[in-house]
Amino acid sequence: MTRVVHYVNQFFAGLGGEDQAGIAPSLKEGAVGPGRRLAQLLGDDAEIVATVYCGDDYAASVEGAAAQILALVMSYEPDVLIAGPAFGSGRYGLACARLGAAADAAGLPVVVAMHEDNPGLDEAGTIPVVASGATSREMRASLDRLGAAARKVIAGDALTSDDGRIGRAARATTVAETTAAERAVDLVLTRLAGDRDATEIPLPRFDRVMPAQPIEDPATATVALVTEGAVVPNGNPDGLESARATRWLRYPIDEVASLASGDYVSVHGGFSTSWANEDPCRILPLDVARELEQEGAIGKLHAAYLVTAGNGTSVANARRFGIEWAAELRKAGVQAAVLTST
Amino acid sequence: MSSAARIPAPEKLRRPKTKGAVSSRDDSTRSLKRFVHQVRDVAVGDETAFDRGVLTVGRAASTLFESPALAGVRLTWASPGDPVRIVKLLDAVEPRCKEGGGIFPGFVGPPEQQGVGTTHVLSGAAVVTAGFLPRAQEAVVDMAGPAQPLSFLGATHNLVVEFTPAADADWEDVDAALRVGALKLAEHLAAAATSAPPDAAEELAGLGAPGSSELPRVAAVTNLQTQGKFKDVFVYGTSFSAEPPRLIDPNELEDGAVVSGQYGHPALKNPTYVHQNHPIAAALRRRHGRDLHFAGLVICPEPVDQTGKERASADVAALCRDAGFDAVIITKEGGGNADADVSLKMDALEQMGISAIGLFAEMAGADGSAPPLVIAPANATAMVSTGNYDHRVELPAVERALGGEDFSLLDVPATAELSVPVAVVYGSLSPLGIGRLTCREAA
Repeated sequence: MTRVVHYVNQFFAGLGGEDQAGIAPSLKEGAVGPGRRLAQLLGDDAEIVATVYCGDDYAASVEGAAAQILALVMSYEPDVLIAGPAFGSGRYGLACARLGAAADAAGLPVVVAMHEDNPGLDEAGTIPVVASGATSREMRASLDRLGAAARKVIAGDALTSDDGRIGRAARATTVAETTAAERAVDLVLTRLAGDRDATEIPLPRFDRVMPAQPIEDPATATVALVTEGAVVPNGNPDGLESARATRWLRYPIDEVASLASGDYVSVHGGFSTSWANEDPCRILPLDVARELEQEGAIGKLHAAYLVTAGNGTSVANARRFGIEWAAELRKAGVQAAVLTST
Repeated sequence: MSSAARIPAPEKLRRPKTKGAVSSRDDSTRSLKRFVHQVRDVAVGDETAFDRGVLTVGRAASTLFESPALAGVRLTWASPGDPVRIVKLLDAVEPRCKEGGGIFPGFVGPPEQQGVGTTHVLSGAAVVTAGFLPRAQEAVVDMAGPAQPLSFLGATHNLVVEFTPAADADWEDVDAALRVGALKLAEHLAAAATSAPPDAAEELAGLGAPGSSELPRVAAVTNLQTQGKFKDVFVYGTSFSAEPPRLIDPNELEDGAVVSGQYGHPALKNPTYVHQNHPIAAALRRRHGRDLHFAGLVICPEPVDQTGKERASADVAALCRDAGFDAVIITKEGGGNADADVSLKMDALEQMGISAIGLFAEMAGADGSAPPLVIAPANATAMVSTGNYDHRVELPAVERALGGEDFSLLDVPATAELSVPVAVVYGSLSPLGIGRLTCREAA
């Protein structure tokens, strides 16, 4: 009998919606929610021995959450891990992708399901991911596909696009026989001859984010300041990268009226920082935000600001920062954020 | 896309004659003679000399850098195979001079149009400035070992210029003095070869040479990263940042009409050396008259704001349409924001029915599985990859380093073993296509 552990978020584990998004990882014995249908699809030779779950905000914003969840998974000594389907939910998709990547690194076979526009797909690396619908209205078809894919993974077979596999195959840097300039001329002639598909880089898919509705009453809202302008306390105590950032940082401002020159600096590597360092509020507008707070135009400012350096940052990391910032601010009860870009 | 079999025979590419398609240069008879002297070895001596492939730099050459902004410079050769690393590289210049003067117009020669006459080229050598300047991003070249082939400077004899700024000198003045000094030094070295018999003598026709008008008219659009002090590019000695896009004869670039002062993104910059040896122009020239008609070269600034980028793209597209181009190869300089300068132009050109090919470095994460481009074209699709910015490379420790004591990106001695993204290896992902790196789906 193949032992399967299934991972879902707090909603599909039956614990509740956004009000429960902060709960820590936990588990239930046997199959739960969508796992019941999945268990049928797996057949008689496999059994879902446990369902591990976690709140979406917790999974997306707490450092080490994936390792905690994986430890719970491993405590049931599974042969295979199934995660999702996460549909189009960013935080859930991120959790499934991170858990899947961690399980894969630990040698545990895994299969994950989410919609192909789910930003979490970027974090899945090259582990097997199959497409699900965009929303849980497509639960049934999504589970059918995930179940079939899981059976192949259990049998030790590789998944292909015929199984609904999505995600990127890794692209390796190699040395070509001719220079890029010579290959560009070859490509021009190929295109002029009518081949419109020839390319060395497949077009990436980008999702479009719809701006949220304006908040109804700014005078009661908690507003956060966030920036990719790399404004950090002088001396850059946590070593924020000036380019190719792989992380973001959080600094308290609840007792700071304004960012004084010399106390804060921008370590951004993509522009001349002299004007930013003359007045760091040019990048993170704490001075005017405090005025608005005192006037009562906004309820209050969030007690910390979030910062990274947007310079040569990969789309994958930028998406992850966005998901993590949204989870962090939502958990802290923030209704709106001002994102200053440089 | 590397199979030669997919490239059709030239007759299939002959275009119908279109009415009104005119090139501003079709009546040109301008041409440039290139006398190429191959540098096979280098030395330091009392006098600068070039004798049977051996380039000797005279001890007095450092006086070419005399300036109130510089306390002094030190010149050191770093040759292929030497156990030497160069860090903090700024610009690289190929030694060249013109009979009768005029090289590097606007800096060394007067700012007058070049691209005709006779130019001497010291092939296989470069003048390389290296050291701290503000906004310059840490860069590295190894002259031996696994990273040597990643940079075009791994294959040249490099005269490395290290410098000490004068006390209280403005950094901008230091930068300017260094640039002029390096260009003068490049001319000075090449001048030693003018009486030597060249290894090759070439005649480069100006664009628009007659006799090939039925072939598809293919052009290059070269974006220059003009984004402020220490991130600027000069044309005829003047910052190109506020200029509109314009046609320029590739032979003008041969004579140093475009000079780089752009020190960001070491792998994604176009040093002066690469403009002098413009790889796209060279590749188009090789196929000219056979598979295509090399119809023009457009240079265009890279503005920092979206409106500026959109306007430059519309202007370039209109210019290419009016010049009657059938296809255009577009290149960039710099990181993610410069992807937009390529993508917007590709889309604008394709909308006009002009085939557009863009060169991009991918930014796909260390494992190559993340989305490769920051801003991709919406309609155009033909792209060439110059490798993955985030690809990790391991550089073993070296005996000696030039350019600085430390490798500031990792805060370690410059001679230390380094584990870095290829993005810090100078010129490795060359947006103008001088390198051979690419990405392929892993098997």
